[in-house]
Amino acid sequence: MAKKITGPQLILANRLDDGRAVFLTAAGAWSKQVAEAAVANSEEELTGLLSVAQAAEVSNQVVSVTPVAADVSGDAVAPAHIKFAMQSKGPSVRSDLGYQVSPNWE
Amino acid sequence: MYAYDTFDHAMVNARVAEFRDQVERRMTGELTEEEFRPLRLMNGLYLQLHAYMLRVAIPYGTLSADQMRKLAHIARKYDKGYGHFTTRQNIQYNWPKLSETPDILQELADVEMHAVQTSGNCIRNVTTDQFAGATADEVADPRPYAELIRQWSSFHPEFSFLPRKFKIAITGAKTDRAAIKWHDIGLVVKENDEGEIGFEVLAGGGMGRTPVIAKTVRDFLPVQDLLSYLEAMLRVYNEQGRRDNKYKARIKILVEAMGVEEYARQVEAEWEKIRHIPIDVPEEEVARIKAFFAPPPLAVLADDVPAVDELAGKNFIFKAWLANNTGAHKVPGYANVTISLKPHGGIPGDASDEQMDLVADLADTYSQSEIRVSHEQNLILPHVAKKDLPELWQKLDEAGLGTPNAGLLTDIIACPGLDYCSLANTRSIPIAQTITERFDDMKRLMDIGPLKIKISGCINSCGHHHAGHIGILGVDRKGTENYQILLGGSGGEDASKAAILGPGFDEDGIVDAVEKVVAVYLGEREEGEEFLAAYRRLGPDTFKEAVYGAH
Amino acid sequence: MALINLTGIQPTEFEVLADDASPSEGATVAVPLARLLEAEEAFFKSAGSVGAIIDTETSYDALAAVADKIAFAVIDFPAFGDGRGFSLAVRLRKDYAFKGEIRAVGPVIPDQALFLLRAGFDTVDAADERKAAFEAALERFPAFYQTDFGGQVSVAHTRHSAEGQRKAS
Ligand code: HEM
Ligand code: SF4
Repeated sequence: MAKKITGPQLILANRLDDGRAVFLTAAGAWSKQVAEAAVANSEEELTGLLSVAQAAEVSNQVVSVTPVAADVSGDAVAPAHIKFAMQSKGPSVRSDLGYQVSPNWE
Repeated sequence: MYAYDTFDHAMVNARVAEFRDQVERRMTGELTEEEFRPLRLMNGLYLQLHAYMLRVAIPYGTLSADQMRKLAHIARKYDKGYGHFTTRQNIQYNWPKLSETPDILQELADVEMHAVQTSGNCIRNVTTDQFAGATADEVADPRPYAELIRQWSSFHPEFSFLPRKFKIAITGAKTDRAAIKWHDIGLVVKENDEGEIGFEVLAGGGMGRTPVIAKTVRDFLPVQDLLSYLEAMLRVYNEQGRRDNKYKARIKILVEAMGVEEYARQVEAEWEKIRHIPIDVPEEEVARIKAFFAPPPLAVLADDVPAVDELAGKNFIFKAWLANNTGAHKVPGYANVTISLKPHGGIPGDASDEQMDLVADLADTYSQSEIRVSHEQNLILPHVAKKDLPELWQKLDEAGLGTPNAGLLTDIIACPGLDYCSLANTRSIPIAQTITERFDDMKRLMDIGPLKIKISGCINSCGHHHAGHIGILGVDRKGTENYQILLGGSGGEDASKAAILGPGFDEDGIVDAVEKVVAVYLGEREEGEEFLAAYRRLGPDTFKEAVYGAH
Repeated sequence: MALINLTGIQPTEFEVLADDASPSEGATVAVPLARLLEAEEAFFKSAGSVGAIIDTETSYDALAAVADKIAFAVIDFPAFGDGRGFSLAVRLRKDYAFKGEIRAVGPVIPDQALFLLRAGFDTVDAADERKAAFEAALERFPAFYQTDFGGQVSVAHTRHSAEGQRKAS
């Protein structure tokens, strides 16, 4: 069943093991870098991405799968809402922690 | 301090083994996330925005130096080198791995600590006065009773799946530093006319979207009836608390709906039926537990220490620290020292592993190896000899732990907010940082006097904004962060609910609003009148005009 | 479905009586509590043995009318987090001195095995693949902080008995 969307969406989740925020890529993998997130521009595309994401939930790779509105400008993509933007970076009060330090921050 | 016996060790170790098994079953998928969630919550493990969060209990806020060192070690080894002390006498780690939490819990168990029931719909960590057993103003040390409740409520077969979370707080002092009236059950240790110790029992307090101040259910409950009475209170709630709507599931809603008289009647009726079943513990057990909390053997010392006065005469900051961060001890010649975790511009309640290690060392040297954690997110060294105060302050100050602001405007409670929390509307910490930077003048702060600012990033009220003299609540206004200002709340024995003053502000506007509110107070106060008293006398209008009128 | 036996009781074999059916002579039937509350003496007499199916909306007062007429009780959890089921079992044991089998049905999970036992349940209906986990969970805790209605005595008491003092030291 297609989900109603009003603009581009991306899929956010947390890894089951370490809880780190991750984004679903077009290849069906999970990346720490929002730049690699797959963007759904239609309800059909979103449904497709969600089914991949939910399969990863069922196979215990990720939890808390959430489709979120994305801001896309040119090649750049970021979650539109501040909460999800925070997840793509790390705590704003600790610039020494999170993906804001480096894309592969552990 | 309480020390585990083989039974306590066996149970906490069993719990760790159980959780290890549950984590394994979750990783293999034998447990679904839906099934695992309440199990992990009952072990203090949340999922936040960036990672898991582990909430470790500091029962009744008392820690040994060795336990503090273990907390530092965990921060270093399994986390990112810091922890966050919370309003419920817990510490939270923000980056643990699910697969490593069983190891963390085992390390905690090794020093007689745990994360049992720090979350979930069960009876949570029992909280109390951070000065318990050391303050001059108490009837009796409440911690032996808190320990009794801790044991009785741990792994309770009937009350582990309540309608909602359940928080109990207890105070033994006349000044309520544990916000007991804001708890599901509040207990006040008191002495009756016959000189017997017992409790006033209150129920139905809570914050969240429906703030309610607890009401008295029973004026005097003898000590020996404590657990059977709590059992009756919990049973009535477990049976009749709402389960259809989680926002109406706390006991405060039940007590409001049935009326406190009817709730009390049902509790008393049930208690009459069970008070002779051995739910309560034998007298020897109360005595055994009490013995662990015997006051430390402190030799009476001179209360006047010339060296202290001398330094205070020369150094304004030390003088301010003495006035704000030290309090009267039961024994002459001693003080209880509050270590502020609220450096101006810093993150309220956060401490690094090095700071935790340092506090542990200082506790070994100056405070009988004992440390306390307050609901105001500070640390306390109890039982410090007054003559040691100058030396202690210097060591604290060097480590950034000497901020002399306990109880003042910059001693702000703030929840983690949107920097960490997945339920948040707004950030909380940056507001605290901006306010403390704006008010970074000790002379001005001392002049303003006692003023409690409390900030929550959403209506769940983890930052106690309903109980703030000035409360700040983050709301989502069309996807942007917006902050409401509330005035007149109190978490003390004169508990009151703060009221919203008017429309919200952005990040800068809210700090300006705080400044305007403080200016009104300074202009209107009478001789010696503190902020809360002035607000109660003046009412909101004068403040409203100053904050909104100029537009 | 597997039947998990917590207490070692002889489990009751029963049929759930259809809504409009009457029990056949001598049968062992489980019947929704609401229906039992309306039932005449004859209903109880004709069946061999009657058990009540109790949902978690049931107020414990309602148990008073049937507690001495039923041979077993089936407490139906709509969700494993619905803790009222535990209090219902406690009420049956404590307020009505109910001695028959109490069974838990519904989505209770293995991690609740000891809670169920200690609240007064005897048996649990569980998915076959969960039997082992239920049995493992029963063995988990060596001692308890509460005196319960399943016969366990709180360590607060055992600590001060001769036996307990030997163990604690
Ligand atoms: C970061 C993850 C956290 C989450 C997900 C969380 C969640 C919640 C929720 C949902 C409530 C409302 C419960 C209700 O009204 O029934 C609540 C209340 C509360 N939380 Fe938190 N919280 C978090 C962190 C904290 C922290 C860091 C503290 C201490 C500083 C804290 C202390 C409290 C307190 C004191 C309340 C109010 C209790 C009351 O309603 O009576 N929480 N929390
Ligand atoms: S008050 Fe809201 S934002 Fe703050 S920690 Fe609690 S749930 Fe999160």
